[in-house]
Amino acid sequence: MKKISRRRFVEGTSAGIVAVAAIPAVEAQQKSPVTAATQSPVPRTTIKLIVNGVDHRIEVEDRWTLVELLRDHLELTGTKIGCDRGECGACTVLVDGMPLYSCSQLAVWMNGRSITTVEGLAKNGKLDPLQEAFIEHDAPQCGYCTSGQLMIAKALLVSYEKKNAHPTRDEVRTAMTGNLCRCSNYNHYVEAVMAAGGTAPSTGGGNAA
Amino acid sequence: MTPLKTVGHATHRIDALQRVTGAAKYTSDVHLPGMLYARVLRSPHPHARIRKIDLSKAMALPGVKAILTHENCDVTWSSGDQLNQRRLFNNPVRFAGDPVAAIAAVDRHVAEDATHLIEVDYEVLPFLTDLEEALKPGAVAIHEGGNLSLNNQRQPLPQTYKRGNVADGLKAADHVFEDNFTSAHHNNAQLEMRVSVAEWSGDKLTVHAATQGIANCRTDIAKDLKLNVDNVRVISEYMGGGFGNKNQCQDSDLMAALLAKEAGAPVKLEFTRKEDFVAVHGRWSSRQSYKVGVKNDGTLTAIQFTALTGAGAYRKGSCDLSGTEIYQVAHLETSVSPVYTNTAVAANYRAPAYPQAVFGIESLIDDVAYALKMDPVEFRLKNMTRKFRDQTPYTSIGLEDCIRKGAEKFEWKKRWKPVAGSGPGPVKRGAGMAMGMFGSGLGRSSAVVRLDGNGQYQLHVGVTDVGTAAKTTMGLIAAEELGVPLEKVTVVWGDTDTCPYSVGESGSRTTVQTGMAVIEAVRDLKKQIAEKGAPKGSEVLTAMATTNPPPLQGVSRNSFVAHFAEVEVNVETGHAIVTRFVSAHDSGRVVNPLTAQSQVQGGAIQGIGMALHEELLYDKRSGLPLNAGYYGARIMTHLDAPLVDVVWVETDEPYGPFGAKTLGEPTIIPTVAAVANAIHNAIGRRVKSLPITRDKILGVLA
Repeated sequence: MKKISRRRFVEGTSAGIVAVAAIPAVEAQQKSPVTAATQSPVPRTTIKLIVNGVDHRIEVEDRWTLVELLRDHLELTGTKIGCDRGECGACTVLVDGMPLYSCSQLAVWMNGRSITTVEGLAKNGKLDPLQEAFIEHDAPQCGYCTSGQLMIAKALLVSYEKKNAHPTRDEVRTAMTGNLCRCSNYNHYVEAVMAAGGTAPSTGGGNAA
Repeated sequence: MTPLKTVGHATHRIDALQRVTGAAKYTSDVHLPGMLYARVLRSPHPHARIRKIDLSKAMALPGVKAILTHENCDVTWSSGDQLNQRRLFNNPVRFAGDPVAAIAAVDRHVAEDATHLIEVDYEVLPFLTDLEEALKPGAVAIHEGGNLSLNNQRQPLPQTYKRGNVADGLKAADHVFEDNFTSAHHNNAQLEMRVSVAEWSGDKLTVHAATQGIANCRTDIAKDLKLNVDNVRVISEYMGGGFGNKNQCQDSDLMAALLAKEAGAPVKLEFTRKEDFVAVHGRWSSRQSYKVGVKNDGTLTAIQFTALTGAGAYRKGSCDLSGTEIYQVAHLETSVSPVYTNTAVAANYRAPAYPQAVFGIESLIDDVAYALKMDPVEFRLKNMTRKFRDQTPYTSIGLEDCIRKGAEKFEWKKRWKPVAGSGPGPVKRGAGMAMGMFGSGLGRSSAVVRLDGNGQYQLHVGVTDVGTAAKTTMGLIAAEELGVPLEKVTVVWGDTDTCPYSVGESGSRTTVQTGMAVIEAVRDLKKQIAEKGAPKGSEVLTAMATTNPPPLQGVSRNSFVAHFAEVEVNVETGHAIVTRFVSAHDSGRVVNPLTAQSQVQGGAIQGIGMALHEELLYDKRSGLPLNAGYYGARIMTHLDAPLVDVVWVETDEPYGPFGAKTLGEPTIIPTVAAVANAIHNAIGRRVKSLPITRDKILGVLA
């Protein structure tokens, strides 16, 4: 069986995402993948990045994903891994304001970038209005997808604030559809985002025509 | 019912802040100094004997610390399987995904790399994926004794139930209807994958487990590893969903513990998403056959029900089916046969025996109603259960109100079409309904409550809170009984060192079982306060209660539910969506309407996914799973989910805490059938196999 390295897998799967999400060009030096059988040292690269406003200079293994860097090496475990293969959205973070699945980004690609995770939403001890609304509307059940739901919703509301508009129910659902919730608390998630976004609850009607 | 001060009011979760800030620590967030990471090598074959395993290359990889296989680890995973003596590592392997080896290494990449360096020599054996083929004479035996699994009495016979005489009942009928239905194996698919972190300190073992029951997890680990239970501690602070697949202890708990022992360092074992789909478990599939007798006036006279259910490669759950009990009928026979195949294991998934069986009986009953030109709602009101198994009175029953109030909220008369398929195309609308019931599990539970000199109460309960808001529910029940605001009660949970035994969050029993222990402990504390006065300074008063209710004699306690669905079906593309949904529940008094609504809406939306999308498909030629993972499973997304209106029918339940009954599992029971009936109402044809995918819709229309 042909082996596929972690790096090649991530680069392969994210090719489609590059086209739609316009990820900035990869800045890290490209290196050929190393398989375990060769037992040669794993390539490492030093990167600089900002996470939740804090500067970091860190040497990363080229095969680390962004979510791995955040969770295993920066102790930011609020970002969750639900699939590690770009399917569920639990690992969504903001990269220079853009919502991305952090399981599908390599850490070395983050050189020079600014990352916001769920831990960076509250400012000066004050919760973000989205977090307040998530509590008010009982949006998290088990809570495992919640960080991802918050981050995609944050990106959505920021974009609507910029154009001074409020998202409709269907706009919220469409924006967030890449974020799965198996407790299926979708009704409460959408209500919470609409409330935080200043949208009247009666706007739009789910699947109802 | 008299309104209460705390119970019955919409209340935020006591841990909501932790859940929205990323502060909540789940098992996968636990990081211990010197911790190793583990990965599992799994069988690529559906059925094979392992001739030889060569670990030399893997062990030579720098950073590999320990490897377990069937050759050096003969441990029975008993809580996973009571019948087959299932080992952690089996030989032969019986499904693609059966564990072959577990590796602990310095990081996750080295552990992953090592799995590729283990060389396994397999003797590939013939395999089975089909239930009926598995029972044919001469079929390859997956276990000794054949492929028909044992019934609840451990006999190689079907699980049966009988009342009256079906032959008499069918003779008394004016019409007899017969039909067959099938349902698919599909996955719990909770967001948090299977994960365990194990650490030894001398002969004491601590396991951070993603479990629905810390107490059961602990006793099971002790039993399987032959440890004194006092030497095992289980911690589960936050838990990322399970819907039944994190009951008891898991193979990952045992593997992590054994690897940690072998390597002399803490070990974290996380399954991948694909492993979670293939190698944990999903809901058992079924092949159902019914014969139903009915009089001209719509009175049911007999139901005969036989079924095969798909246990997968090992027996891990009851593999039973429950649906016919929602009808009053004098003559009833049921027979259910769990069957082994070389496929993923089936076990508990939210109301394990119900939604697939209710799909079968409620589809057929719908057809009976149409044939007799009766409104399906009226047919059900006429024939619904009044006593459990037609004999035992219910402690409380709000089923009729669920049907009537649900129908009213749904605007049934307006939306349901007396002639199925009569709407204009190509996008046709239709409405359907179905009903269900559920009895909560029993079991021992304890609670400890203490009051300190500062007037603060501490409630210790052995819950983990699987997403149901169980901690908050326990706090509300304590606060109500104490007559204090919820803020005065600190809830302590999720650690066997600090919490007393609790039955575990399965069978929808935490509110009704552990909740009663909370009330009794509080009553004891209040008695002590009355006798001794409130504690002052460093004084503390403590009370503990254990409840272990025997099954109720002469009465039956059940929750009831009726679901109503409206669908749109494009008859050109076969695309179906649910556009409107009403879920009417009799769960007694609702302890927390806010979090209860979350559960009811979530259960219904999960059920819509089961109805329309979800199936773990197997390639019959290779015996391999084809679509493990979220994309393939097509679980519900934001865009698939309709608004779910919730109707509460609050009966006054005499046996529950403040009149509460069970809630979590009934929420999904009739959903699938309601959606199936709505699709039939829209297109005038019936799909008799779950999931009701586009190709099947186009198939019945062709």
